[in-house]
Formats: sequence, C-alpha cells, structure tokens
Amino acid sequence: MAFGFRRPFQAKGGDRFIVNLGERERAVVRAVCEDMLGTIDDPDLQPLFRRVYPVAHATDPGIDAAYQEMVHADLVATRRSTIERVLACVDDPELDREQLECWMIGLNTVRLVLGTRLDVQEDSTPELEPDDPALVARAVYEFLGGILEMIVRSLSATL
Amino acid sequence: MNRLPARLSDAPIGVRDPDVEESIDLDRPWLVLVWNDPINLMSYVTFVLQKLFGYSREKAEAMMLEVHNNGRSVVASGTREKAELDVFRLHEHGLWATMQQD
Repeated sequence: MAFGFRRPFQAKGGDRFIVNLGERERAVVRAVCEDMLGTIDDPDLQPLFRRVYPVAHATDPGIDAAYQEMVHADLVATRRSTIERVLACVDDPELDREQLECWMIGLNTVRLVLGTRLDVQEDSTPELEPDDPALVARAVYEFLGGILEMIVRSLSATL
Repeated sequence: MNRLPARLSDAPIGVRDPDVEESIDLDRPWLVLVWNDPINLMSYVTFVLQKLFGYSREKAEAMMLEVHNNGRSVVASGTREKAELDVFRLHEHGLWATMQQD
C-alpha cells in the first residue's frame, strides 16, 4: 500500500482535507482502531502501553506516582475518545482539521503500542523473513508510519 | 499533592517563615523535557512542538534534532502548574516528556 505520488490527505482550503484513501486502507485504519479500543483497558496488556503513559517525573518516583494518579484516568479517557472520533469518520471523503488531528494522534498511539510490541529500536529495521510471526504487525506498523507522515505533511503545510 | 500559595506575597507577613528554603525553591522554574524514543517520527515530533507551543518550524525542528542527537531537549519552562499541563499535552500526543525543577 505505497502512496507513490498520491497525496492521501489533500488540503482544499478552509482547514478541510480530501482523504484519498481506498477501501482497504480505510479498513486497516478501522481495524487497528477497533483493536485499540478493545485492549486499552486490558490490565494484562498494560506493559505494551508503557510508551502511551510515560513517566512524568523521572527523578522522583513518589511525585510521579501522585502525578499519574491525578492524570491517568483523564489520559485514558482522551485516548479513547480520540480513537472513537477516528472511527466515526473513517469512511468520510473529507475531514476537517480537528478530525485529521484525531487521526494523527490516534494512529500515532496505535503505532506506539505496535512498535513496543515489535520492540522497535533506533535505526534498526531489519527485513523480516516471510515466515516471521511478526511480519503482519510490522507491515501494519510501516503502513501507519506512512499514513502519519502524510498527515503531518498536510497539517504542517497548512499551519 | 502540595498546592502552593499563588504568590509568595500571599504568605503571612511578619511571621518567621520556616519554609524559606522551600520558598526560594519555588522561584526556580520547572523545565519540560522531551526524550528521544525510537518510534515517534521526526516530522511528527516537530509538528507537535509547533502545534502545542506555537514555535516556528525552525525552532521546533532544532529542538527535535536536539532530542534526536543528544537524547533530550528542554522544550518549555515555567511554573509547576504550567509544566504539568505541558507534560500532559505532550503525553496525550505520545511524546516522552518529563518535568523537573531547574
């Protein structure tokens, strides 16, 4: 699903963007978002979410625990609503700026969780063997990276 | 969580303040740092800094490169409350942000 010369999120003025994505691409976006909603509260999967809920006070675990207690529920709630907003407009031919920012933040969250699962490291993207069990997850991860890059490009060009 | 008087001048006058040390501490700003991570895209980090703090593309890009090359960058500073809000918004966007007193 390479984008080639296509501009998947084309600014049309008035902070609106035409979404040039095919059904299959939208189906992937929908699937990863639905998957995320199903796992966001799963206590067994929380280690995969560590990049999504990072430490705020690196030098003081006590203060950090208090901070996390204060904000964690809010952070979970905003993530959930962001993903729900993506799902609500996943098939729309056009998005406004706020919706496109939801796509950006929501898909970035999904990518953070996937990248954690794949144990992605700086500057190391070895090709996986065709029978590698992580092959599909890696393909989705790379697809999301491409989508995100295109969203950021469109949003920055119109800041 | 400790809540501090909004202004030092709100503290009672003429009473020996046992927390002078701490009051001086209050004047030191809190720094908001973003740390390098292998997943967030460089373009994404730059855009988030522009969007949240209103930085120019050049400034945001310089900060992003500092994160990338040196492992971290101070992206904002201010009161504890402001730093907490900044960290929260950066976390909402999936960036690795922490805060500490200067």
